Amino acid sequence: MSASLAPECNEIKERYDNCFLKWYTEKFLRGTATTDECAPLFQEYRKCLGVALKERGLDITIEEARGDNKENDDQHMRRS
Amino acid sequence: MKVFSSETQFDYSWEEVSCANWLKYSPWNKMTPHVIAVDTLQRSVDPATGILRTERLITCQQSPPKWILPFLKGQSTSHVYETSYIDPKTRKLTMCAMNITWSDFLNVRETCSYEPVRTNTGAEHTQFKQYAEITALCGGWQKIKNSIESVSVEQFRQNAANGRQGFEMVLEMCRKVWQEEREKAAQQQTMAA
Repeated sequence: MSASLAPECNEIKERYDNCFLKWYTEKFLRGTATTDECAPLFQEYRKCLGVALKERGLDITIEEARGDNKENDDQHMRRS
Repeated sequence: MKVFSSETQFDYSWEEVSCANWLKYSPWNKMTPHVIAVDTLQRSVDPATGILRTERLITCQQSPPKWILPFLKGQSTSHVYETSYIDPKTRKLTMCAMNITWSDFLNVRETCSYEPVRTNTGAEHTQFKQYAEITALCGGWQKIKNSIESVSVEQFRQNAANGRQGFEMVLEMCRKVWQEEREKAAQQQTMAA
Protein backbone atom coordinates (compact mmCIF):
# COMPACT_ATOMS: atom_id res chain seq x y z
CA MET A 1 0.00 0.00 0.00
CA SER A 2 1.08 3.58 -0.45
CA ALA A 3 1.76 6.02 2.34
CA SER A 4 -0.42 8.95 3.35
CA LEU A 5 0.81 12.50 2.83
CA ALA A 6 0.29 12.83 6.58
CA PRO A 7 2.52 10.31 8.44
CA GLU A 8 0.22 10.45 11.48
CA CYS A 9 -2.56 8.94 9.32
CA ASN A 10 -0.49 6.04 7.98
CA GLU A 11 -1.66 3.45 10.46
CA ILE A 12 -5.39 4.01 10.06
CA LYS A 13 -4.92 4.42 6.30
CA GLU A 14 -3.30 1.00 6.05
CA ARG A 15 -6.09 -0.62 8.00
CA TYR A 16 -8.68 1.04 5.78
CA ASP A 17 -6.84 0.21 2.52
CA ASN A 18 -6.60 -3.47 3.49
CA CYS A 19 -10.28 -3.57 4.37
CA PHE A 20 -11.22 -1.89 1.09
CA LEU A 21 -9.10 -4.18 -1.07
CA LYS A 22 -10.69 -7.25 0.51
CA TRP A 23 -14.17 -5.79 0.00
CA TYR A 24 -13.34 -4.85 -3.59
CA THR A 25 -12.04 -8.28 -4.63
CA GLU A 26 -14.36 -10.48 -2.60
CA LYS A 27 -17.60 -8.52 -2.78
CA PHE A 28 -17.70 -5.61 -5.23
CA LEU A 29 -16.31 -7.49 -8.23
CA ARG A 30 -18.51 -10.50 -7.51
CA GLY A 31 -21.57 -8.30 -7.26
CA THR A 32 -22.33 -9.37 -3.70
CA ALA A 33 -21.60 -6.11 -1.91
CA THR A 34 -24.61 -5.06 0.12
CA THR A 35 -23.08 -3.17 3.03
CA ASP A 36 -19.87 -1.24 3.38
CA GLU A 37 -18.10 -2.86 6.30
CA CYS A 38 -15.11 -0.56 5.85
CA ALA A 39 -17.14 2.59 6.54
CA PRO A 40 -16.07 2.99 10.21
CA LEU A 41 -12.37 2.71 9.26
CA PHE A 42 -12.82 5.14 6.38
CA GLN A 43 -14.52 7.63 8.68
CA GLU A 44 -11.59 7.48 11.09
CA TYR A 45 -9.01 7.81 8.29
CA ARG A 46 -10.86 10.74 6.71
CA LYS A 47 -11.01 12.51 10.06
CA CYS A 48 -7.23 12.27 10.37
CA LEU A 49 -6.65 13.24 6.75
CA GLY A 50 -9.09 16.16 6.92
CA VAL A 51 -7.02 17.84 9.63
CA ALA A 52 -3.80 17.32 7.63
CA LEU A 53 -5.32 18.75 4.43
CA LYS A 54 -6.61 21.81 6.27
CA GLU A 55 -3.21 22.43 7.86
CA ARG A 56 -1.62 22.39 4.40
CA GLY A 57 -4.31 24.58 2.87
CA LEU A 58 -5.22 21.78 0.46
CA ASP A 59 -8.87 21.54 1.47
CA ILE A 60 -9.82 24.62 -0.57
CA THR A 61 -7.76 23.52 -3.60
CA ILE A 62 -9.46 20.13 -3.55
CA GLU A 63 -12.88 21.73 -3.35
CA GLU A 64 -12.04 23.78 -6.44
CA ALA A 65 -10.80 20.69 -8.29
CA ARG A 66 -14.04 18.92 -7.41
CA GLY A 67 -15.93 21.71 -9.13
CA ASP A 68 -13.66 21.55 -12.20
CA ASN A 69 -14.22 17.81 -12.40
CA LYS A 70 -18.03 17.98 -12.69
CA GLU A 71 -17.95 17.22 -16.41
CA ASN A 72 -16.00 13.99 -15.83
CA ASP A 73 -18.48 12.95 -13.14
CA ASP A 74 -21.43 13.58 -15.47
CA GLN A 75 -19.81 11.64 -18.27
CA HIS A 76 -18.58 8.62 -16.33
CA MET A 77 -21.24 8.16 -13.67
CA ARG A 78 -23.76 7.13 -16.30
CA ARG A 79 -23.53 3.94 -18.27
CA SER A 80 -22.51 4.59 -21.89
CA MET B 1 -1.68 22.73 -26.06
CA LYS B 2 0.10 19.42 -26.59
CA VAL B 3 -1.45 15.98 -26.56
CA PHE B 4 0.00 12.74 -25.30
CA SER B 5 -1.73 9.47 -26.04
CA SER B 6 -0.80 5.82 -25.86
CA GLU B 7 -2.38 2.41 -25.90
CA THR B 8 -1.17 -0.95 -24.65
CA GLN B 9 -2.40 -4.35 -23.52
CA PHE B 10 -1.77 -6.08 -20.24
CA ASP B 11 -1.58 -9.84 -20.28
CA TYR B 12 -3.97 -10.10 -17.30
CA SER B 13 -7.74 -10.30 -16.87
CA TRP B 14 -9.69 -7.10 -16.25
CA GLU B 15 -10.46 -8.26 -12.68
CA GLU B 16 -6.76 -8.69 -11.95
CA VAL B 17 -5.88 -5.32 -13.48
CA SER B 18 -8.66 -3.45 -11.70
CA CYS B 19 -7.54 -4.90 -8.33
CA ALA B 20 -3.86 -4.29 -8.95
CA ASN B 21 -4.70 -0.73 -9.94
CA TRP B 22 -5.34 0.04 -6.26
CA LEU B 23 -1.78 -1.07 -5.54
CA LYS B 24 -0.20 0.69 -8.50
CA TYR B 25 1.96 2.97 -6.33
CA SER B 26 2.68 0.41 -3.62
CA PRO B 27 6.27 -0.61 -2.73
CA TRP B 28 5.91 -3.43 -5.31
CA ASN B 29 6.24 -0.75 -7.98
CA LYS B 30 9.93 0.16 -8.10
CA MET B 31 9.55 2.46 -11.10
CA THR B 32 7.58 5.38 -9.67
CA PRO B 33 9.53 6.68 -6.67
CA HIS B 34 8.26 10.18 -7.51
CA VAL B 35 4.82 9.20 -6.18
CA ILE B 36 5.29 9.58 -2.43
CA ALA B 37 1.69 9.34 -1.17
CA VAL B 38 -1.79 8.31 -2.29
CA ASP B 39 -4.76 9.32 -0.16
CA THR B 40 -8.42 8.47 -0.63
CA LEU B 41 -10.65 11.53 -0.25
CA GLN B 42 -14.10 10.15 -1.04
CA ARG B 43 -15.56 6.85 -2.11
CA SER B 44 -19.11 5.73 -2.89
CA VAL B 45 -21.18 3.28 -4.91
CA ASP B 46 -23.97 4.81 -6.98
CA PRO B 47 -27.11 2.90 -5.92
CA ALA B 48 -28.70 3.32 -9.38
CA THR B 49 -25.83 2.14 -11.60
CA GLY B 50 -23.56 0.25 -9.17
CA ILE B 51 -20.61 2.36 -10.35
CA LEU B 52 -17.87 2.79 -7.74
CA ARG B 53 -16.56 6.36 -7.66
CA THR B 54 -13.29 7.09 -5.85
CA GLU B 55 -11.57 10.42 -5.34
CA ARG B 56 -7.85 10.39 -4.53
CA LEU B 57 -5.09 12.87 -3.88
CA ILE B 58 -1.73 11.81 -5.28
CA THR B 59 1.39 13.47 -3.92
CA CYS B 60 4.52 13.60 -6.10
CA GLN B 61 8.05 14.75 -5.58
CA GLN B 62 9.98 15.37 -8.74
CA SER B 63 12.81 17.65 -9.77
CA PRO B 64 11.85 19.65 -12.84
CA PRO B 65 14.55 21.24 -15.06
CA LYS B 66 16.29 24.12 -13.27
CA TRP B 67 15.10 26.82 -15.70
CA ILE B 68 11.47 25.98 -14.91
CA LEU B 69 11.89 26.23 -11.12
CA PRO B 70 11.31 30.02 -10.90
CA PHE B 71 7.88 29.47 -12.51
CA LEU B 72 7.09 26.92 -9.83
CA LYS B 73 8.11 29.25 -7.01
CA GLY B 74 10.75 26.74 -5.92
CA GLN B 75 8.18 24.14 -4.89
CA SER B 76 9.01 20.55 -5.85
CA THR B 77 6.09 18.70 -4.18
CA SER B 78 2.96 18.58 -6.28
CA HIS B 79 -0.53 17.17 -5.99
CA VAL B 80 -2.82 15.49 -8.47
CA TYR B 81 -6.58 15.16 -8.02
CA GLU B 82 -7.88 11.91 -9.46
CA THR B 83 -11.34 10.41 -9.81
CA SER B 84 -11.97 6.86 -10.91
CA TYR B 85 -15.18 5.22 -12.04
CA ILE B 86 -15.56 1.45 -12.03
CA ASP B 87 -18.55 -0.18 -13.64
CA PRO B 88 -18.55 -3.85 -12.57
CA LYS B 89 -21.31 -4.73 -15.06
CA THR B 90 -19.75 -3.38 -18.25
CA ARG B 91 -16.30 -4.05 -16.75
CA LYS B 92 -14.80 -0.69 -17.43
CA LEU B 93 -12.44 1.34 -15.28
CA THR B 94 -11.95 5.01 -16.14
CA MET B 95 -9.57 7.36 -14.35
CA CYS B 96 -9.44 11.14 -14.72
CA ALA B 97 -6.61 13.18 -13.27
CA MET B 98 -5.65 16.85 -13.13
CA ASN B 99 -2.82 18.75 -11.51
CA ILE B 100 -3.84 21.04 -8.66
CA THR B 101 -0.35 22.40 -7.97
CA TRP B 102 1.10 25.02 -10.33
CA SER B 103 -2.30 25.04 -12.00
CA ASP B 104 -2.09 28.76 -12.83
CA PHE B 105 1.07 27.89 -14.77
CA LEU B 106 0.38 24.52 -16.32
CA ASN B 107 -2.80 22.55 -16.94
CA VAL B 108 -2.53 18.77 -17.24
CA ARG B 109 -5.66 16.70 -17.79
CA GLU B 110 -5.47 12.98 -18.23
CA THR B 111 -8.01 10.24 -18.90
CA CYS B 112 -7.14 6.54 -18.75
CA SER B 113 -9.32 3.50 -19.28
CA TYR B 114 -8.99 -0.23 -18.76
CA GLU B 115 -11.33 -2.58 -20.63
CA PRO B 116 -11.31 -6.32 -21.28
CA VAL B 117 -10.28 -7.47 -24.74
CA ARG B 118 -10.19 -10.91 -26.40
CA THR B 119 -6.99 -11.90 -28.13
CA ASN B 120 -6.87 -14.06 -31.28
CA THR B 121 -6.24 -17.12 -29.14
CA GLY B 122 -9.38 -16.43 -27.12
CA ALA B 123 -7.51 -15.40 -23.97
CA GLU B 124 -8.70 -12.34 -22.07
CA HIS B 125 -6.35 -9.41 -21.78
CA THR B 126 -6.89 -5.82 -20.71
CA GLN B 127 -6.68 -2.88 -23.06
CA PHE B 128 -5.21 0.28 -21.54
CA LYS B 129 -5.76 3.68 -23.16
CA GLN B 130 -4.19 6.90 -21.98
CA TYR B 131 -4.88 10.42 -23.24
CA ALA B 132 -3.55 13.68 -21.82
CA GLU B 133 -3.77 17.35 -22.73
CA ILE B 134 -1.01 19.63 -21.51
CA THR B 135 -1.39 23.41 -21.71
CA ALA B 136 1.02 26.09 -20.48
CA LEU B 137 -0.95 29.01 -19.09
CA CYS B 138 1.77 31.46 -18.15
CA GLY B 139 1.77 34.78 -19.96
CA GLY B 140 4.60 35.73 -22.26
CA TRP B 141 6.00 34.48 -25.48
CA GLN B 142 4.50 31.59 -27.34
CA LYS B 143 8.03 30.25 -27.66
CA ILE B 144 8.38 29.91 -23.87
CA LYS B 145 4.97 28.29 -23.62
CA ASN B 146 5.94 25.82 -26.33
CA SER B 147 9.17 24.95 -24.50
CA ILE B 148 7.32 24.44 -21.23
CA GLU B 149 4.74 22.23 -22.93
CA SER B 150 7.44 20.20 -24.68
CA VAL B 151 9.35 19.62 -21.44
CA SER B 152 6.12 18.66 -19.68
CA VAL B 153 5.04 16.22 -22.41
CA GLU B 154 8.49 14.62 -22.30
CA GLN B 155 8.28 14.26 -18.51
CA PHE B 156 4.77 12.86 -18.90
CA ARG B 157 5.94 10.35 -21.51
CA GLN B 158 8.77 9.22 -19.22
CA ASN B 159 6.44 8.90 -16.22
CA ALA B 160 3.93 6.97 -18.33
CA ALA B 161 6.59 4.52 -19.55
CA ASN B 162 7.88 4.01 -16.01
CA GLY B 163 4.32 3.72 -14.76
CA ARG B 164 3.57 0.92 -17.21
CA GLN B 165 6.73 -0.95 -16.36
CA GLY B 166 6.07 -0.53 -12.64
CA PHE B 167 2.47 -1.67 -13.05
CA GLU B 168 3.70 -4.90 -14.66
CA MET B 169 5.69 -5.54 -11.45
CA VAL B 170 2.57 -4.97 -9.35
CA LEU B 171 0.46 -7.25 -11.57
CA GLU B 172 3.00 -10.04 -11.27
CA MET B 173 3.18 -9.73 -7.48
CA CYS B 174 -0.61 -9.60 -7.17
CA ARG B 175 -1.01 -12.79 -9.22
CA LYS B 176 1.56 -14.55 -7.06
CA VAL B 177 -0.03 -13.45 -3.78
CA TRP B 178 -3.57 -14.33 -4.91
CA GLN B 179 -2.41 -17.74 -6.13
CA GLU B 180 -0.85 -18.41 -2.72
CA GLU B 181 -4.03 -17.29 -0.98
CA ARG B 182 -6.16 -19.56 -3.16
CA GLU B 183 -3.87 -22.51 -2.42
CA LYS B 184 -3.99 -21.77 1.30
CA ALA B 185 -7.80 -21.59 1.22
CA ALA B 186 -8.01 -24.87 -0.73
CA GLN B 187 -5.67 -26.54 1.76
CA GLN B 188 -7.77 -25.35 4.69
CA GLN B 189 -10.87 -26.71 3.00
CA THR B 190 -9.26 -30.12 2.49
CA MET B 191 -8.16 -30.17 6.10
CA ALA B 192 -11.65 -29.27 7.29
CA ALA B 193 -13.24 -32.01 5.18
